[in-house]
Amino acid sequence: MADQSKKEEENPAKSISVPQAFLVHLISGLGLAASLWVAHNLYSINLVSHPSITLRLIWIVESATVILIYSRFRIDPQQCSYLKAVVRGILALPVGALVNALGAIALGAPVGIQYLPKTINWSLLMSSFTVAPAASVFGLSWTYWQRIFAQTKPNGPLEYMICIPAHGAVIGGWFGAWPMPLDWERPWQEWPVCVTYGAMTGYLVGMLASSGFVLANGRRQRLKED
Amino acid sequence: MLPEVVLEGGERGGSAGDDEDEVISLCVSRQRHGARHGVDVLGITAVLQRHTISIVTRNGRTLVDEMVQLGDSGGSRDSCLLEQNFHITATGATYLNLLASPPATLITVGIHQLWIALSSLFSMQSEKKAWMDKLSVLQKMAFSEGSSAKIFKAIADPPTTSLQRLKGLATGGLPTFIDVGNSFGAPAIAEDNFIHQLVENGKRVMMMGDDTWIQLFPHHFNKSHPYPSFNVKDLHTVDNGCIEHLFPALYQEDWDVLIAHFLGVDHAGHIFGVDSMPMIEKLEQYNLMLEKVIEVLESQSEPGGLHENTFLLVMGDHGQTLNGDHGGGSAEEVETSIFAMSFKKPPTSIPSELVMSSCKLDLDGKKKCISSIQQLDFAVTVSALLGIPFPFGSIGRVNPELYALGAGRWNLDGINAWDSSNLSELEEWLLNYVNVLCINSWQVKRYIDVYSASSVIGFSSEDLLHISNVYVQAEQNWANTTKNLLLHRNERSHTLLPAFTRQIDFYFSFLSNVSELARSKWTEFNLKLMGIGLGTMLISLFIIFPAIQRVNNLYTTSLFSPGVEEGKVASFLLATTSIVRLRSSIMKKKMLFEAVSFLLLISILRFTIEVGLSKQAATSLFLSASPSWMLGVAPGHPLWTYMAEIGPILAVILLAFLLCRTICSSIFGGLWKYINLGTILSYVLIAVYWGAESNIPTLALLLQGMKKGHIPRMIYAIGLGQLLLVAVGYLFDKDRELDYKRSLVMKTVAILSAWSPTIIILSGKQGSLVVLALIIGGYCIVRLESMEDSDSDAIFTFNPLAITQWNLLAVFDEFALVRQAILLAIDTFGFSHILPVLGLPFLAVCKFLFGQNNHGKDFRFNQLSQMYMMYGLITATMVTVTIICVTIHRRHLMVWGLFAPKFVFDVAGLVLTDSLICLASLLYSGGPTGDSFPKTER
Repeated sequence: MADQSKKEEENPAKSISVPQAFLVHLISGLGLAASLWVAHNLYSINLVSHPSITLRLIWIVESATVILIYSRFRIDPQQCSYLKAVVRGILALPVGALVNALGAIALGAPVGIQYLPKTINWSLLMSSFTVAPAASVFGLSWTYWQRIFAQTKPNGPLEYMICIPAHGAVIGGWFGAWPMPLDWERPWQEWPVCVTYGAMTGYLVGMLASSGFVLANGRRQRLKED
Repeated sequence: MLPEVVLEGGERGGSAGDDEDEVISLCVSRQRHGARHGVDVLGITAVLQRHTISIVTRNGRTLVDEMVQLGDSGGSRDSCLLEQNFHITATGATYLNLLASPPATLITVGIHQLWIALSSLFSMQSEKKAWMDKLSVLQKMAFSEGSSAKIFKAIADPPTTSLQRLKGLATGGLPTFIDVGNSFGAPAIAEDNFIHQLVENGKRVMMMGDDTWIQLFPHHFNKSHPYPSFNVKDLHTVDNGCIEHLFPALYQEDWDVLIAHFLGVDHAGHIFGVDSMPMIEKLEQYNLMLEKVIEVLESQSEPGGLHENTFLLVMGDHGQTLNGDHGGGSAEEVETSIFAMSFKKPPTSIPSELVMSSCKLDLDGKKKCISSIQQLDFAVTVSALLGIPFPFGSIGRVNPELYALGAGRWNLDGINAWDSSNLSELEEWLLNYVNVLCINSWQVKRYIDVYSASSVIGFSSEDLLHISNVYVQAEQNWANTTKNLLLHRNERSHTLLPAFTRQIDFYFSFLSNVSELARSKWTEFNLKLMGIGLGTMLISLFIIFPAIQRVNNLYTTSLFSPGVEEGKVASFLLATTSIVRLRSSIMKKKMLFEAVSFLLLISILRFTIEVGLSKQAATSLFLSASPSWMLGVAPGHPLWTYMAEIGPILAVILLAFLLCRTICSSIFGGLWKYINLGTILSYVLIAVYWGAESNIPTLALLLQGMKKGHIPRMIYAIGLGQLLLVAVGYLFDKDRELDYKRSLVMKTVAILSAWSPTIIILSGKQGSLVVLALIIGGYCIVRLESMEDSDSDAIFTFNPLAITQWNLLAVFDEFALVRQAILLAIDTFGFSHILPVLGLPFLAVCKFLFGQNNHGKDFRFNQLSQMYMMYGLITATMVTVTIICVTIHRRHLMVWGLFAPKFVFDVAGLVLTDSLICLASLLYSGGPTGDSFPKTER
């Protein structure tokens, strides 16, 4: 026990325990679910009927949850206070949204005045899935970003927790776009409804997978220590 | 076939001649006895008479010729005709008056998916859903005692989509067959149909509602109130428009046939599904509307009233599944209903053999009977009811029950001499119906004869023989019956009923034989042959597969979707691969510029396509759906036109410059240099040509002196000369000392440059931009490819991703240009097939230009052929997928409009690609063979 706490002091960046990881994922997932619940039941809107407003509600709740909770696990607690981590997460949100929006437009998202609010809100949501938590945790250290987003070689439970859900969201969104060109004429085939559904599903699946990885990782660590 | 008809005709002529006196006397007696029965028969006579005329006038020369060919059978017709021909001559003047006197009006209220409205009647389960039984007024009318209304379960033929169903309803033909004829042209019906016949016969037709009718019958309606049916989300415009115009029209006399087509139920089903509130609201609205319509009609149905002879039909053109889809052949989609109501006294009850209704007891213990009718029969039955000629191509039969509903339509009270003297009411009706069937059979038989005489495939001779045997049998039977009838007409010793019903059975068997045969031939697909074709395709794929050993079908499988927006899908996939590339280039920290520019290029291409498409889209809805317009300058802005004019010219000049730089490099010499110089000349000419054509005044003035027509010809000539030079250069290749790599580069450049000016000038101003895009794209692909492979040095290391990207780029360009719809082979296939295939060696060669290691020629050729095979495989896979899609969707609404052309285009493209691959590998495999072989041997 003492050994463990000593280790944590040595390397605070990797200091997330398995229950903590589960809790983080649980809270993120609950944040998503709560925002959807509020949209459906309090405002009685949904993604199909009011895509922009619903998306805004979701991204506000989700980004707040994610930034507040991930800032606790920043890698440089000595140099960076909790507040600073929150601020950099908030700053990263629009930047990540820009990247996501550009990617979506390159992939064929419609551009135009009437799609603008939808695209903005959608990309902010994607940003809170992908970039915001990473910014809160890693700040501006380029090596971490490159390792996680370019090479997909996460190292340690915290990086798993950021990397896998983010990739899940992007891949889920990519697959979510598949029904869009079909001529079924369903309202949910519109941009960005099905992409959002795909991204949220991917995000949830990613969180499940990362929980699994964290669990497996923790076991391995324990075995090693034994 | 024909001799038999002739023989038969002669025989009939003889027998008719024997009875001539009798027939005449019969006619006279009818005349004398008054019009009561005469009208019925005369109504039919009119049908016949007009029909003959209508054939001649409608389809012009060809049908006249066919009539001459079929002259014998036309002359022989049959006894029903012979008998009535006398009427035409004898009473030609009167029948018009008689026919004109009843304002035989018909109201057709078309409602999509009436099935839903009355579904509880049909469904076997006892459970009741909220959306069932909403049109209660129809049931009340149909099942009340002594009413002259009836509900029919109408069975449609797939495809169950509005356009096809309307066509089927109007022509009485089978939809698939109809569509083959004019799938590529305007949707207006070219075949004979009952709307046309109504107009021909002076009926005034009024239409309101779905504007599909206007597309189908552009010039037929006296008065029309069409509303757009395009916007599925709009539940109310069409319906409210209909209701607004329907009720005033009910008080007016300026129409004979009124058609009101409501769409709300269809749209509600599409958007919300069947089990939804909007659907129920729509049905309730319809119920109210129908109640009011029936009330108005009934209030004026007293003798002498406006709607004394009005016949109301409420029908659905097709059903829908619970999700609101339709188009297929499932029971829910195919079954709909027809509610028919005449505002006269209840019709005579017809013999039970003719009634095909199924009755069941409802909860109150009341018996509810529902008859069944094929939608195919609608056109003829309505034609018979209205006394107009049957549509020429109809293969339906007059439905006895629906026809009987109109039997009380003729206002002939007080003239019942014939009735009392000879026939009972029922017998009279049966005689009338037999006559109608007689004409009906004659019309169907003639259509089948004309069809099989003029069509290439047609029916098999056994089938035709069988059909005409049945027909001859029916005819003979009727001849005998008439003879007996005439001989014994003064004796009431035997009843005529059995004779009539037997005759009806004969006609029924003939007509059902024909419609069965037509269904099996026209709407069936030869599954065996299709299976063989598909199997061959798949087997060939599996043969190429191991030959390449490397597989990458990730990007092709996603084209499975039956989506229409293939260009968008291709750009989506291409962008995906480029993003993957970008990611890996960030990872490796090199070639970042190429990756980003490739991604940008794809985005730009995508916008170009969208803008190009939205330019062509006429409907405003589409414009709002692809809003990339908003980004650009407003259309018509001078800057925009200036850009559009100057851009392609700049692109061509850039191309010429690039080519110039390429040939200035050392590896080009001799003949090849001149080929490329020719291309540069062509590019300059193209630039001049476009400059002269452009709307920019200064440029146009500058170049006015040139004769425009000569430039394209010069370019074609140069292109032809270049190709010849390439061939010559290939035959007398003296540059043996060059290594394989160089000769390959030279040949590729030469071939490409020989082709490109022709293709560019053919495909218009977009052409140069697309070529530029292709070159930049190709460059980026090559560069990124070399990055991927620079660290690995395996023998067959060839990333299929690059070829897939190349292929997708080709698809992409195809979509930019195919819509230009210039159906020149080179234009159509230029960018999508010719240039990519011929330019493919670049991928192999450039890798080594930028690259490093020097393998022997054998290795290179291996790699090249591997690459070609992969390209072929990807194309073949896409074609296979297209084939599978077409097979699955062979009954789809768009099969002739979309899938079949796509299929033909793809197959043609595959054949072209394969032959080009063969040609190209021949071309590129040549060259310096002598010295490189021993090298690799060692």
